[in-house]
Amino acid sequence: MTGTPFAVFIAATVVIVAVFAFVARGTRENRTSDYAKVNRTRLLFFISLAVILLTFLVLTLPHLPYPGDAGTSGYVVHAVGKQYAWSLTDGAGPTLASWDRDMSPTITVPPRTMVEFRVTTLDVNHGFSLYAPDGHLVAQTQAMPGYMNRLRVSFDQPGTYTVLCLEFCGMSHHRMRGVVEVK
Amino acid sequence: MTQAVTADDGYSARLTRLTLTWVLVALVLFPILALLGFLMRVLQAGFFAALPPEWFYAVMTLHGLGMVGLWFVAGMAGVSLLLARYVRPTLAVSWIAFGATLIGVALLLAATLVGRLGVGWYFLYPLPFHSGGTWPPWATASLFAALAIMGVGWTLWAGDLLWAIARRFRLSDALGWQYLAGRETPEVPPIIIIATVSLIGVLAGLVAAVVILVLVALEGLNGTFTNDALLIKNLTFYFGHMLVNITMYFGVAMVYEILPAYTGRPWKTNRLVAAAWNLVLLLVMFAYLHHLYMDFAQPQWLQVTGQISSYLISVPAAVVTIFSTLALVSGSNMRWRLPSVLLYLGVMGWAIGGVAAVIDSTVMVNSRFHNTLWVPAHFHTYYVMGVVLMILGTVFHVAADLSKQPESLALTRTIVTTVGVGGYGFLLMFYLAGVAGVPRRYATYPDEVARGITYAQVSLAFITVLLLGVLLYIWDTGRRCVRALFA
Repeated sequence: MTGTPFAVFIAATVVIVAVFAFVARGTRENRTSDYAKVNRTRLLFFISLAVILLTFLVLTLPHLPYPGDAGTSGYVVHAVGKQYAWSLTDGAGPTLASWDRDMSPTITVPPRTMVEFRVTTLDVNHGFSLYAPDGHLVAQTQAMPGYMNRLRVSFDQPGTYTVLCLEFCGMSHHRMRGVVEVK
Repeated sequence: MTQAVTADDGYSARLTRLTLTWVLVALVLFPILALLGFLMRVLQAGFFAALPPEWFYAVMTLHGLGMVGLWFVAGMAGVSLLLARYVRPTLAVSWIAFGATLIGVALLLAATLVGRLGVGWYFLYPLPFHSGGTWPPWATASLFAALAIMGVGWTLWAGDLLWAIARRFRLSDALGWQYLAGRETPEVPPIIIIATVSLIGVLAGLVAAVVILVLVALEGLNGTFTNDALLIKNLTFYFGHMLVNITMYFGVAMVYEILPAYTGRPWKTNRLVAAAWNLVLLLVMFAYLHHLYMDFAQPQWLQVTGQISSYLISVPAAVVTIFSTLALVSGSNMRWRLPSVLLYLGVMGWAIGGVAAVIDSTVMVNSRFHNTLWVPAHFHTYYVMGVVLMILGTVFHVAADLSKQPESLALTRTIVTTVGVGGYGFLLMFYLAGVAGVPRRYATYPDEVARGITYAQVSLAFITVLLLGVLLYIWDTGRRCVRALFA
């Protein structure tokens, strides 16, 4: 998934560098500006850019990651963040008062089933992110005080998925983790 | 109408002294803040593992806040100097802003290096109030005091610059609306339009900052009141995104004003330039929404607005400014000197960083790139290889003019080569790590994303080369500025 945007970026960068280098080399000639030609080229550039941007809008906007309806879909996991741990439970998540008793950093979910993570936090903003066993980022949403964000994921491959924090939350931000066992 | 202000009563000398003072402070702070960035990559590379992570995050906070603030004030100071060709800003106000900035810097140094405040450059609410025992309450108070003091100074500064413009041009003329109406008079140089748009943006951003400070203070004073985290997040990113974008536009204003001196061709305002910058003023108010894509509670129509605005705002930048830069240079008898090379490369860096930013502003892509190292990759591209090069080019242009010392072309080649190779090599490691899903803002990398260590290690070599180029530039420019200041 990340390979395509990177390829687009590299291709665009090569074009930009090539154009800037080409124009820089042309400064040895000292020509008079041909405004009509400049404006024709600008119009062509504008149309090309508009077509590219419109194409990407049309191709990508239908694939927003937000759940379309509020109803329960498949398996539900309550993901609650608190400096510096994730609690993952299939019942209601812990509160500040019950954190030590009720929090669980690990949960097991079935493969090839839509899992809805209901993500929130008891203190500061956190970033709920799922990393696959091979280390690639599968999906993410923010955990916000006073809000519950719903993230739906279907795990095609069984294995151990790691939950990391992707919103800076304090001195042990990089140690905040949870585990989703898919089996 | 676009004639330079010629009446002088020592104003030019005082303006020059003021600008050189700003420049010298910037030239001292820049390498220190850059070294802090280097230190962060050293720690991420697995060296000095014994250093507690809270130090990494305190350094990260100082590096981020420092760099954002530094290039904003450098942009303001540079634009003030160039604006003085047409209007007359009040120097006392700029000195007040200078004093406020120094007080703010002192408070931030105390908060981060003494108090070990680690909240990141956008201090996302409510993190400053949840230190987890890492930093004391006075460090949080120091942060907000610094922001309030600098905010007041910068508001006065931006307001004075706008007032200076308003004393000479009607607001509608300063925004170039006469060109949109098909009239060529009164003639207004591009820098007036860009500065007007940017300064309105600055004030709009600072209003959001004031609202944040008031809301946070209310919560602090009234224990029963709790702020809405999503509202504060919107305000925070509106303010932060605005500040960073406006800094970029200050750099672009310098390109418009100075590059013609090297191409031998004028860069005049026309209907296209006026339309582009008015469009920017509108779109920059909404583009910040792309920072909140992963906040699923945000209404979906705002997320779609964020992507469309972020895409659209690239059009005036690319089709007008970047294309016009190329048209201005193409076939001209360009004098390739350090200022013109840096301005030209700065525009190229802006274009490359802009592509990376547009890609990340695609909601579907942001699901994979949000808060990975792709984010610092793209903003470092249009900072380090964009606006910073534009400002450094402008500073050298001014310093060389004042010092009357000839430029060493061998030194120019060395600076450009080291900054170019070191800069883009350093950025490539960020991009590759971002594509691999390595999180940003991690003091050390856990096993799942341990590949981030390798990218950090490789980047150290490139940062070293980049710093070498920066230090050469500072040595060459700094001695010219010192000589001019004390001449």
